[in-house]
Amino acid sequence: MLLRLLSFGLAFLFWQLLALMLPPSILPGPIAPSIVLWENLDAGDVFRHLWITLLRVFGGLALALAIAVPVGVLMGVHRSAERILDIWVMVAMTIPSLCYALICFIWLGLNEYAAIVAIAVTAAPSIAINVWEGVKGIDVKLIQMARAYEADRRLILTRVLLPQVMPYIMASLRFGLGIIWKITVFVELIGRPNGVGFKLFYWYQLADMTQVLAWTLLFTLVMLLIELVALKELERRLFSWRPRVAA
Amino acid sequence: MSIAKIEIQKLTKTYPPRHAEDEAMRVLKGLDLAIQPHEFVCILGRSGCGKSTLLNAIAGLDRDFSGTIQIDGRALNGGRAPVRIAYLFQEPRLLPWLTAERNVDFALRSCRVPSARWAELKDRYLAMTGLDRFRTYYPHQLSGGMAQRLALVRALCIEPDILLMDEPFSGLDELTARRLRVDLLRIWRETRKTVVFVTHNAFEASFLADRILVMVRGEFQAEIPVNVPRPRDYDDPAIFEINRNVVRLFLKIAESGPAEDADAAAAPLGETESAPRVGAH
Repeated sequence: MLLRLLSFGLAFLFWQLLALMLPPSILPGPIAPSIVLWENLDAGDVFRHLWITLLRVFGGLALALAIAVPVGVLMGVHRSAERILDIWVMVAMTIPSLCYALICFIWLGLNEYAAIVAIAVTAAPSIAINVWEGVKGIDVKLIQMARAYEADRRLILTRVLLPQVMPYIMASLRFGLGIIWKITVFVELIGRPNGVGFKLFYWYQLADMTQVLAWTLLFTLVMLLIELVALKELERRLFSWRPRVAA
Repeated sequence: MSIAKIEIQKLTKTYPPRHAEDEAMRVLKGLDLAIQPHEFVCILGRSGCGKSTLLNAIAGLDRDFSGTIQIDGRALNGGRAPVRIAYLFQEPRLLPWLTAERNVDFALRSCRVPSARWAELKDRYLAMTGLDRFRTYYPHQLSGGMAQRLALVRALCIEPDILLMDEPFSGLDELTARRLRVDLLRIWRETRKTVVFVTHNAFEASFLADRILVMVRGEFQAEIPVNVPRPRDYDDPAIFEINRNVVRLFLKIAESGPAEDADAAAAPLGETESAPRVGAH
């Protein structure tokens, strides 16, 4: 914790030093954006934009998981499904998110659905690969044990398979969230009239560097909060059965 | 004579060749076997002789064989056995995400034991194995011996008619294994299951069994009755005597056939283990 604080302190110091050498229109110091951020929060419309962005992030994440987890499981379980799908997952992963965003907006219109679909489709391939790896690592001996005890399919799925894949799904969740944050602001910049990405682009057009940094700061803080508090806690609860590797 | 608990006729299991030029491997070569109710039978053989394949066939895990397996006079035609069968593996195979008690619950649920009986069954068998205090422990918190004991509780709780055991003590240190063997016999005398116990340890077989079947290259080569009265004592010279005879016989059979090494190399189980051990004494 101390080391973390120290590294944060150093980063701020570095930012401040850099800002002293550059004109404020290019790089203001860390103080000005923080004050602007505070003022924005006070003014009120920050939460509206943040809220709509978060909705897109989690909507996109849910849809991405709904697509990717079954695909990943199928690929891990069936040899032939793996052979058919693996190349398509690779293809889907190499297509830039810009292409997905543009295609979705053209096909589905400039609306919320298009945004969420674009976000989900961009993130899904990487999540699918993660889950696929997880399913391939399943312990067959435990399944054999369950079959020897006449467990039905549902019980094998919920008690034997899912707990083994869960760590990989969790990892995909964190990692998917990381990708999705970035895609979401990007999609908002292209085709939505609100959200953090829209605000960033708005201030960019007005060449207000302090505001751009203030919004970036806000976004980063919220993301860290979710990552460190919510996901860490979820992970702790889900995997309490695991032996601790380090104290 | 009453109907055998397990009746096996001409059981043959063939693995398809891995490469086109190889011959198909016959792992079990027309086995005949009849096991009486409440009998404790040990199948002795080195790794790769087909012991585990036989157990998997009886358990219904492997349905790809020819010949017949009848349990209580009813054929096992790719379906489930008409009686409840419990299987104890070489490793405990506990579910690491469930506590000791929940692991037992898993077997109770999957075997559809009415939940009204769960508490009573768990209390009984956890107490019998001395695991009562460890209900809330996760498998990684248990020692190897305790984990295997818990696997035994899981097997007993479903009140099986038949208990299949595949070298369940071979992964444990000798002292722990000894204690578990004694416990197993005590529990067996109380519950009287039909037991098919597979092992490569001649002393273990001599100590546990009513009857030892020696298996070499997928065939039963000898049958040795163990007429030592129960309860048995570890230091009973009669058991040592049987152990000595079994080992002698085993070596004779193994040497008379084609080179065992070639056979072991062809074994699909991929285990490595040397000649049957004389109990560690």
